[in-house]
Amino acid sequence: MLRADFIRIYKAVHTWTGILTGMALFIAFYAGALTVFKEPLARWVAPPALDRPAVPLSAAQPLIVETLRTHPAAARDFTLHLRDAEHLPARMEWQIRPPGGDDHDESGVRHYAASLDAQGAAQVTETHPSRVAAFIDTLHRVVGLPVDNDPNRWVMGLVAALYTLALVSGVIVLLPSLVKDFFALRIGRNLKRMWLDAHNAVGIISLPFHLVMALTAVAFAYHDGFYSVQDALIHGGKWSSAFERQRPTPGAAPARDPAAMLPPLELVARVQALSPGFEPVLLQYQQVTGPRPMVRVWGKDAAAVSPRARGGFAAIDPYSGKLLGSDFLPGLQSTPNLVISSFFALHMAAFGGTLVQWMYFLLGLAGAWLFYSGNLLWIETRRRKAPRQGGELPAQRRDARLLAAGTVGVCLGCVGGISLTLVGGKWLHDHVEDLNAWHWGLYYAAFFASIAWAFRRGAGKAAVELLWAAAALTAAIPVTTLLGWSLPSLGLWAHTSVATLSVDATALAGALALAWMARATSRRVREGAADSVWSAGGG
Amino acid sequence: MDTRKPLPIQRDWVAKSLAGTLLGFGLALCISGLFVRLNPGMALPVKGQLAMWMLPPIWLGTLAGSYFFSSGLRAWLWLGGANLLLAAVLAAISASSGA
Repeated sequence: MLRADFIRIYKAVHTWTGILTGMALFIAFYAGALTVFKEPLARWVAPPALDRPAVPLSAAQPLIVETLRTHPAAARDFTLHLRDAEHLPARMEWQIRPPGGDDHDESGVRHYAASLDAQGAAQVTETHPSRVAAFIDTLHRVVGLPVDNDPNRWVMGLVAALYTLALVSGVIVLLPSLVKDFFALRIGRNLKRMWLDAHNAVGIISLPFHLVMALTAVAFAYHDGFYSVQDALIHGGKWSSAFERQRPTPGAAPARDPAAMLPPLELVARVQALSPGFEPVLLQYQQVTGPRPMVRVWGKDAAAVSPRARGGFAAIDPYSGKLLGSDFLPGLQSTPNLVISSFFALHMAAFGGTLVQWMYFLLGLAGAWLFYSGNLLWIETRRRKAPRQGGELPAQRRDARLLAAGTVGVCLGCVGGISLTLVGGKWLHDHVEDLNAWHWGLYYAAFFASIAWAFRRGAGKAAVELLWAAAALTAAIPVTTLLGWSLPSLGLWAHTSVATLSVDATALAGALALAWMARATSRRVREGAADSVWSAGGG
Repeated sequence: MDTRKPLPIQRDWVAKSLAGTLLGFGLALCISGLFVRLNPGMALPVKGQLAMWMLPPIWLGTLAGSYFFSSGLRAWLWLGGANLLLAAVLAAISASSGA
């Protein structure tokens, strides 16, 4: 039997770890839920492609050879797309990274796309794709900070570690009454009881999901440090030297002729022979003119675990077609590799296909709500009640008022800001020099304006107004598509693939949900208890 | 029959948190080290990754549990003892395998 002492101690742990991390986790989970559908978002915002109709796959080999002849820098790492989608500007693409940049930092990367003209010559264009989907991913990776770099990841890791403590302590606090309280949703006059029941039910039901997220996030944040400590203390320096050896030698003189490579469709056939369930989507060519040429055939297998969010790959030699490695090929991994891949797949919903993605989307939104409701419970616990026999309303505690305003401002600022920056990707296309700077600017402008508004107006009034604003900005997503389709003179566009129309439909549902919350909150502010930070007069 | 009332649990927030954070990490390192030493046949890239992935659950699990100790001193003694013991076992295995 757990002593009451322990319950009190762990309640304090739960309260303080929760309060410290709740808002950062709201952003991570709201943006993370959307990141599950990163590709549909990128497709929704992408302008109509340059290269339509695309170079057929059968002509992909001349495209590669011609492009590498005129643009040898592409040989380091380029991509050949096997399918057509709105966000793929052409059959062949590559990126040039600024030297010395962080692997996860996409901001300085330049993008190029290649196709063939009527005479069979390579046509290379620099493209400026909207990185809004990657920006939302970054917000989720580093809890709302702007750039995915080491210091920000360390902040995220600290948040994730505290979040782990909050999860364990929350379960310990709930254990003694779990049987009694589980699924007991006491709807009624005692609003705090109802919110607490809901908070507990959502927390317990999604506990495995949250434990996975917390622990994998700690590993994602600190793996570099973990590896170097273990290398020094356990592996005796062999870990880092193993990777030094594998690094390709840069700047080697062209040794191989790309024209001698097997054609892409032949390479794809070799991989499909290995694993019939595997559906290749792109070929990533690396160092094809160097001494260690390699093609990664990336794809997904809905029946298997994918080692990364974008799927898995087989590595083959583009000249001989020989298999170089299947450690990352879904369905063909060794057991230890499968275990490692499952850590990634469980975080990134890279298994089980679209159904699991929707589950993760809903679990992510439920997680965001969990942190929001945690803050609400903290505030409600510290509420000063009016005397029963009437009389003057007591002033609410300053910390409760500030936390209420902060929670409303941060959470709704994140929701509204993401919708705004998505919509901005279409309205500002071709009208601004640096679209991706605008994506940043729009998001943070909405985010900070929302926080300032919440502190100025007080939590109650601001919650209603910011919910309406978030509903309007989210509704602007399908409205933009509708305008693009009905009024072509505006210069907007409307994609009609299932993936992009699903973005519109989900945004419409989200806007309706936000409008419903705005109405409910407005009723609460007007008609609810006056001795509360949420009352119009209280605040 | 033991009729003594149980001693009150000391809060000792700083001592317990530090014990859980520092010694919990030491514990995680020792256990991952044992995993590496006891699986000499596994390829290093795989073994090293699995050893890395073990750290967060052991580390943070220990930290989360450390508030169950009745005092900060006890947290340091028990977790410190566990660290010493595991480090000694690890050293013995490493010495005997010549690694």
